[in-house]
Amino acid sequence: MASCRRLSGAALREVLGSAQGLLFDCDGVLWAGESAVPGAPELLERLQRSGKAALFVSNNSRRSVAELELRFSRLGFRGVRAEHVFSSALCSALFLRQHLLSGGGAGDGSAVSRVFVLGGEGLRGEVRNAGLRLVGEGEQGAEQVHAVLVGYDDQFTFAKLAQACAYLRDPRCMLVATDPDPWHPLSDGQRTPGTGSLTAAVETASGRKALVVGKPNTYMFDCIVERFGIDPSRTLMVGDRLETDILFGKNCGLSTILTLTGVSRLEEALAYMASDSAAAKDMVPNYYVNSIAELIPGLDE
Amino acid sequence: MNPSLTGYYAGRAWLAAGPPNGLGRPPAAGQPRRVGGGAASRLANESGGSRPRGKAGKGPSGRFRPMGARVGRSAANGSGGGAGFAPKRGEEAMAATGGRRCRRLEGETARAVLANADTLLFDCDGVLWRGEAALSGAPAALGRLAAAGKRLCYVTNNSSRTRVAYTEKLRRLGFPPAEPRHVFGSAFCAARYLRQALPPGAAAYVLGSPALAAELEAAGIPHLGPGPAALPGPAPADWAQAPLEPAVRAVLVGFDEHFSYAKLCQALRYLLRGPDCLLVGTNRDHRLPLEGGSAIPGTGCLVKAVETAAEREAFIVGKPSRYIFDCVASEFDIDPARTIMVGDRLDTDILMGNTCGLTTLLTLTGVSTLEEVRGHQESDCPARQSLVPDYYVDSIADLLPALED
Repeated sequence: MASCRRLSGAALREVLGSAQGLLFDCDGVLWAGESAVPGAPELLERLQRSGKAALFVSNNSRRSVAELELRFSRLGFRGVRAEHVFSSALCSALFLRQHLLSGGGAGDGSAVSRVFVLGGEGLRGEVRNAGLRLVGEGEQGAEQVHAVLVGYDDQFTFAKLAQACAYLRDPRCMLVATDPDPWHPLSDGQRTPGTGSLTAAVETASGRKALVVGKPNTYMFDCIVERFGIDPSRTLMVGDRLETDILFGKNCGLSTILTLTGVSRLEEALAYMASDSAAAKDMVPNYYVNSIAELIPGLDE
Repeated sequence: MNPSLTGYYAGRAWLAAGPPNGLGRPPAAGQPRRVGGGAASRLANESGGSRPRGKAGKGPSGRFRPMGARVGRSAANGSGGGAGFAPKRGEEAMAATGGRRCRRLEGETARAVLANADTLLFDCDGVLWRGEAALSGAPAALGRLAAAGKRLCYVTNNSSRTRVAYTEKLRRLGFPPAEPRHVFGSAFCAARYLRQALPPGAAAYVLGSPALAAELEAAGIPHLGPGPAALPGPAPADWAQAPLEPAVRAVLVGFDEHFSYAKLCQALRYLLRGPDCLLVGTNRDHRLPLEGGSAIPGTGCLVKAVETAAEREAFIVGKPSRYIFDCVASEFDIDPARTIMVGDRLDTDILMGNTCGLTTLLTLTGVSTLEEVRGHQESDCPARQSLVPDYYVDSIADLLPALED
């Protein structure tokens, strides 16, 4: 089991020294709301100069990767391109494309794959970019719907829930969720419901289990490996949420660093460490830092 | 490259303390468990073969405890359960006698069973009527039962009608006259629960129907929430700034066709505002069947959304919870041994009846099938055994011959 050690000094230099690259979660790691975490842009710059890769893996399904690229730039992070960013919106679209458009196809012989998306414009755009057709809200057409995709949907309604369930009566219609997050923090300390809560409603109504694309499941790592071919044994996962980021790292064979600028508290990591449950132990990070700025001294000048 | 279905909720379920009302930790009925520890107890529930049997009433491992009112659909899926609350003495005794037999109720047996009962509790949808049409023979059967001096009560999870509206529907469809006090809907019972559980003057934030609001009104509980959300702006950031009503000390989730992300947001804000804000749900039904075989999402979906966002479990007043039966028992002098529960759903009606020590009668005019019953009977899982009724009929019209003088 990982030991949740504070990462500093010689251990920090050794861990970063031997790493070829780092995967970063975004919310609560690089930024909180509209403010970059102090020192985070500098860390990324130093990683670039040290020749280490920095890639980004986020469960947030609100934004397209194009929008995320702009966000990085606006918050002071330089040199981050859309191709470095793996959001659950992008990866859900890739997942649907893979399962609906390739070999297995739509299953009904039709050339076009139609997806009912519960989510905002960022998610819808990624699905379109992947070559899939979107079903409109309230649409009653006779054409088959091949998948229901549940993402962060702040316009979720009972009517949309009922519409999703109607499509899911066909066992060939897939149920996919962008991420399992039950809630997200707001900048004033409150919480807003996450995709996980909406997915729970759809699962309960339809009697189906969703295929969850986002962390802690490993599909997003498969996407990263396919595009960049990284070596898990030389890659670190940096995140703020034990149940997603750290478990994701464990599932993908990465060493994990918890940063305390986001959702999870150190006490929670220690509680998992003290538990008897194997599942809980998998959420203990190898290391923790108070903020990712603390990683900077681990890099050569 | 299929996503692995790792148990995300494994850790959160472990970390979450039991709900304040002490009902136990496992996920709600209807969700196959994904808790790491649950996998082990699932094996314990189903294996039967390789582990030594504990005392009668306990599972094969000797450690499993029947989950009673919390089992619901998870048992129906064969995933059994896990740690729950310890069985009440009645449950253990019933399990020890080897399980119920689901015999067809007819002939002399029917005469004897009905003669031996003082009170019959009826679920409504799928038992007495479908939509706006009474099931053939049902009004006549209830008429005979009433004429024979039986007490008839109506126990329904539907939170979209008031008790008065139910009496009107019963009258309209030709059933014997009933007073509101004979009707125990989940809306009424939720209001009753809140009246007992809330401090005086405390209010409830309600995701629910006008009927639910009316029952709260009748119970003297201040409330806000029914209807479309009144939004102070277009974005969640705006909604999170809307003022919260200081008096709210409970969130109540019932059937709500105006359910939306914005209302879910508000519910979450109230639940997080103070440690003693109650979370109550009227019932966990997944689906409301409609005429023609289709269905709309049920209250259980909305309860699950709130529970997931808030990372805590709701107190459920409706079947199969004991609470709704306790409401009946506090209104009338009920002897469980002389009471029959008649229903069409194994995981609500029959489960409640069994755990409350009633005689249970399944009618096949609604949701559950005999095949499902046989599946539960043949399983080794005590939780699934709790879903097996004592008797069944094709429809309650089948009781008519036994009621002839």
